[in-house]
Amino acid sequence: MNDQWTNRLSEYLDGELDNEERVALEAHLATCGSCYATLAELRQVVARAQSLADSSPSTDLWPDIRARLTPSRRAAVDRPDRLVRRRFSLTVGQLLAASIVLALLSAGGMWIGLRSTKPTVTANQNVTSPPPDYTLASAGRWRTSTDAAVTELEEALARNQGQLDTATVRVLRQNLAVIDRAIAQAQRALKRDPGSNYLNLHLANTMRQKIELLRRANALAAGQS
Amino acid sequence: MPRQVLEDTLTADSIAADTALAASGDPSAFERLYRSHVARVHTLVRRMLDADEADDVTQDVFIRAWQKLSTFRGESAFGTWLHRLAVNVVLARRKRVGVERGRFLTEDGPLDGVTGRRETPELSLDFEEALARLPAGARQVFVLHDVEGYRHDEIARMLGVVPGTSKSQLHHARMALRRHLDR
Amino acid sequence: MQMLCAALAAVTLALPQRDNIHQGQGRGQGQGQGSGDTTFAVQSGARLDVNNFGGEIVVKTWNQNSVQVRSSHSSRSQVNVSATGSTVLVRTEGRRGPPSIVDLDITVPTWMGMTLSGTYTDISVDGAGGSVTAESVQGDIAVTGGTGNVALKSVEGGVTLAKTRGRIEVNSVQGDISIEEASGDITVETVNGDITLTRIDAANVEVNTVDGEVLYDGSIKPGGSYRLGTHDGDITVVIPPGTSVSGSLSTFDGDWDASFAVDTLRVARHRFTFAIGRGGNSARLELETFSGNIKLRRPGEVDLESRKHKNSGHSHNDRDNDNEQYN
Repeated sequence: MNDQWTNRLSEYLDGELDNEERVALEAHLATCGSCYATLAELRQVVARAQSLADSSPSTDLWPDIRARLTPSRRAAVDRPDRLVRRRFSLTVGQLLAASIVLALLSAGGMWIGLRSTKPTVTANQNVTSPPPDYTLASAGRWRTSTDAAVTELEEALARNQGQLDTATVRVLRQNLAVIDRAIAQAQRALKRDPGSNYLNLHLANTMRQKIELLRRANALAAGQS
Repeated sequence: MPRQVLEDTLTADSIAADTALAASGDPSAFERLYRSHVARVHTLVRRMLDADEADDVTQDVFIRAWQKLSTFRGESAFGTWLHRLAVNVVLARRKRVGVERGRFLTEDGPLDGVTGRRETPELSLDFEEALARLPAGARQVFVLHDVEGYRHDEIARMLGVVPGTSKSQLHHARMALRRHLDR
Repeated sequence: MQMLCAALAAVTLALPQRDNIHQGQGRGQGQGQGSGDTTFAVQSGARLDVNNFGGEIVVKTWNQNSVQVRSSHSSRSQVNVSATGSTVLVRTEGRRGPPSIVDLDITVPTWMGMTLSGTYTDISVDGAGGSVTAESVQGDIAVTGGTGNVALKSVEGGVTLAKTRGRIEVNSVQGDISIEEASGDITVETVNGDITLTRIDAANVEVNTVDGEVLYDGSIKPGGSYRLGTHDGDITVVIPPGTSVSGSLSTFDGDWDASFAVDTLRVARHRFTFAIGRGGNSARLELETFSGNIKLRRPGEVDLESRKHKNSGHSHNDRDNDNEQYN
């Protein structure tokens, strides 16, 4: 290990070396296994730092905080009806947000069959739309209904794929496999990190893509009689 | 992907509503904000200072937030605003309790600090414990940079050091912590 | 549909109700070749609707208010051109059994909107000035021009689109998608293929692939929304200096990096919230990959040419084989 280089590894990792230094360090890395290994470890440290979880205090601090809260100046003029109105507007906001998302989902989610608009299966068209109160807690429920739709569409495709030519069936199957692999990876990751919003949403999005592909495949089968 | 919009919008929506309610003096709205943000704040404080100070300083952060809520303009998310406020409270505390600059600057042997301070064989420490045993300077730079995502120039300004010091402290901290990757 | 009906009253096509332009036996190579060539006038507002089971649909434009349909095919197929209201219908069919391969070469007025569809069909449009809908199952689609609604779909085939403005929707399943010099709202989705958007001027962009890389090089407008996602592949976004944008960068197995300073506000597990530049009405950028890296770059830093070559190597067109199969 060469200290001259080792001391620059963090800066390298953070992209803070200038071009010349970076090139020189990379040249060194290509020749120095120890620096290379140290760099990998430092990278892991950074990754570990970014994955550190927050934890709550072991005792509830709220009672002490509550006792120390003094009424704010504006509190006196605030009447209960104003609070009620605010609560109401929140509900409207939520509904609005939900409806925007539903619109987005159905816009992105509607595939029109190539040669026919009559789908073989009218699986619940709303199935890819999460319910308005979508939260992580309800993600499981949503996934169950998604699974049901996938099963339904897969069965329909199995019945109707005779209507499609072999090459098209092959392509569709290959691509369903691509999506299934992605779903399996996301599920495995989620098992390790069940609370991750990002993974839950990523999985949901990949499931949506699977449903769209199945819908489209069925629409194709229906059109090519 | 639109689910993300929904989720973010709903969470942001209810936090924004609670922020407004709390600013108008509603303690139960403020309690909801406390519940949803306390882990974040407490963890930040615990990592930056000593564990036994964390409860007190966390309380200070929330009380300060309650007092300053009327100045919160909603330009950033409440969580971001609270986070900045927590960092400021921590930095003020750090100065007050004498985590003095001189010590910060001269203390450049964090590696020794970790291994020498306690009897516990170092390899049995988990990552958080190892982090807690880093000398204050290296620990704070590491938390601010690698955990919280601040840049060196910001950290240098906050801690009153030059960016070069921040960089070398970070490197020492990382070098010490790589022995404690508990996975 | 209603708009079409309304336009219909004002427009009559200078076209016989059923004009079969199929020409008899040809003398070409191999088995009997057929060919056809007909030109007729159309009035403004007319729309072209073509369905060709297999072969090619090539549409070009000119500054005349007339449509020319040329075709070449075997003697077992025929091409029918007819008019229904203000729509010019071009259909190909086999005389006995399934239709075989027909190559259609059609020239239309620049303003004419068109709907083109096929199964084993390559579709290309050059210089369109109206709306364009094109759908194929196995075949590439290449369109330049188009305004208003532009919707392109293939299952197995690449899609390229250039010089377009309007509401743009492009879908494939297995195939790369590339859009260049386009403005409007853009929605792009494929399963197995790269998505490349360059010289884009859009405030709303939604891009998804499962197995493929994503590149966005275009404007990032105040208040705009840009969502790009893939499962297995890198995402590269070019952000011009001075842009004010915030959002999130999510990757499970990968990293993100920027060639300039990015303000990371909050680091959750695998997800970074970031901000670049300051300004009241910043754009929203959501980038999400599972096992790829996210790269934020300045204009000029991404080697577009090498990407193009790489993409063209991915072409999923094997038309020659299909020809043999269906002749």
